Amino acid sequence: MAASSAFSQKYMTREGTVKFFSSTPIEDIEATNNQATGLITDEGAFAFRVPVLAFRFEKALMEEHFNENYMESTLHPNGSFEGRITDWNQGLKDGMWHEVTAAGALIVHGVEQARTIPSKLMWNGIGWEIESNFKIAPADHSIPIPKLVRNKIATSLDVQIQAVLNPR
Amino acid sequence: MSRPHCLTSLSKALPYLMLCILWLSPTAVNAQSLLDDLGQEELMVRPVSATFKDTRIINVQSNETPGANVLHFVIAHRFGQINEGAYALWGLDNASMRMAFDYGVTDRLSLSIARSTFQKTYEGSLKWRAIRQNSDNSIPLSLTLYTVSMINGLKWTDPTRENRFHHRMSYTHQAIFAKKWGPKLSLALIPSLTHRNLVEALDDSNDQWTISGGGRYKVSNRASINLEYHYALKGLPTTNVNSLSIGMDIETGGHVFQLHMTNSQGMFERAFLTETTGAWKDGAIYFGFNLSRVFDL
Repeated sequence: MAASSAFSQKYMTREGTVKFFSSTPIEDIEATNNQATGLITDEGAFAFRVPVLAFRFEKALMEEHFNENYMESTLHPNGSFEGRITDWNQGLKDGMWHEVTAAGALIVHGVEQARTIPSKLMWNGIGWEIESNFKIAPADHSIPIPKLVRNKIATSLDVQIQAVLNPR
Repeated sequence: MSRPHCLTSLSKALPYLMLCILWLSPTAVNAQSLLDDLGQEELMVRPVSATFKDTRIINVQSNETPGANVLHFVIAHRFGQINEGAYALWGLDNASMRMAFDYGVTDRLSLSIARSTFQKTYEGSLKWRAIRQNSDNSIPLSLTLYTVSMINGLKWTDPTRENRFHHRMSYTHQAIFAKKWGPKLSLALIPSLTHRNLVEALDDSNDQWTISGGGRYKVSNRASINLEYHYALKGLPTTNVNSLSIGMDIETGGHVFQLHMTNSQGMFERAFLTETTGAWKDGAIYFGFNLSRVFDL
């Protein structure tokens, strides 16, 4: 078992896309990051790492506040999600999109949460394409939103992941 | 002779050798997290953000400029001297005001116009971030250049003298060296040259060199304690003193509130660098605030 996983095929990306949206009646905030690193083994284990400083915002001041006041990106430079596709099987490699479940440890702002995240993946003949939409609540990761801006920042952010992972 | 010696040393080394083999075994590799398998993270090299929260430390300019296409509006007050006592509500009965519009032409260049009630002064200025400190300190500090022209708008005190428009003008040029020493502490060192076209007394110099030190220390993610001091290198007329200010920044989204105590009433460079008259020890100090708001155009 140990030997087989040590030599199993791995699929990887260094330019995965992570977007998040915060929508309130007063202000919409959107940020995009194209520098997520991700890896998935052909046994369904995966790991993703997202450099916080690589999120780009429409307004310069939003980016500054995101890094300085909320994510504290000098203290916590990366977010990550590591775990396993719980319903992994070789039948997924049929070239169709499949709904799967990714379970693991989501670390944001240095705070870990056990998460089960519905995702989609497709075998494109060479590697894996993945897509996932889920929510992150800042409060779950010890990111307080001050009262003064509470009506501008959603209590739960929509996160979109898109990546194509090729054989390493 | 040498053989038994060699054997003993081998037997001594054996436990270490076995430890080494264990260390390199595949089980040890698998115990690591898959995250480690992602390889060395590429170091994100970015200009450091928010060395200071606002474009000013208190009175003096910081290295910051508004972002591209951002209009930064500042309204600032200095109340009267606190040693005026209870009758004038410790200075709050009187206020001197300054309004400024700073516009970010690019992320590095900004233009500004301002008007102070103090000496009815107009200002036009240009600020350029020449060098930006990097997150990996490959560029260890920031350098911003600032130049401001000031126009005194008061009526001539002596109308009989030949008064020309350029007599109203004075200029300050600054090199703002700033360094962020981590998330909390930022320091700035600022040499300035102030030139006035018209001076009061015959033996007054038209030029004054000043060296300024400023800094901030963050006490929370949205608040910091700020300090600045300006030292005139050529000495000042006996009525004037060097300027010392202490304050606090409070940030609330698009606004920054700066509250402070200072012995300078004027809020433009010539005034606080060379014409400060209040003495801290006499309580001749002013409570004041700068309130800034950004607008994305």
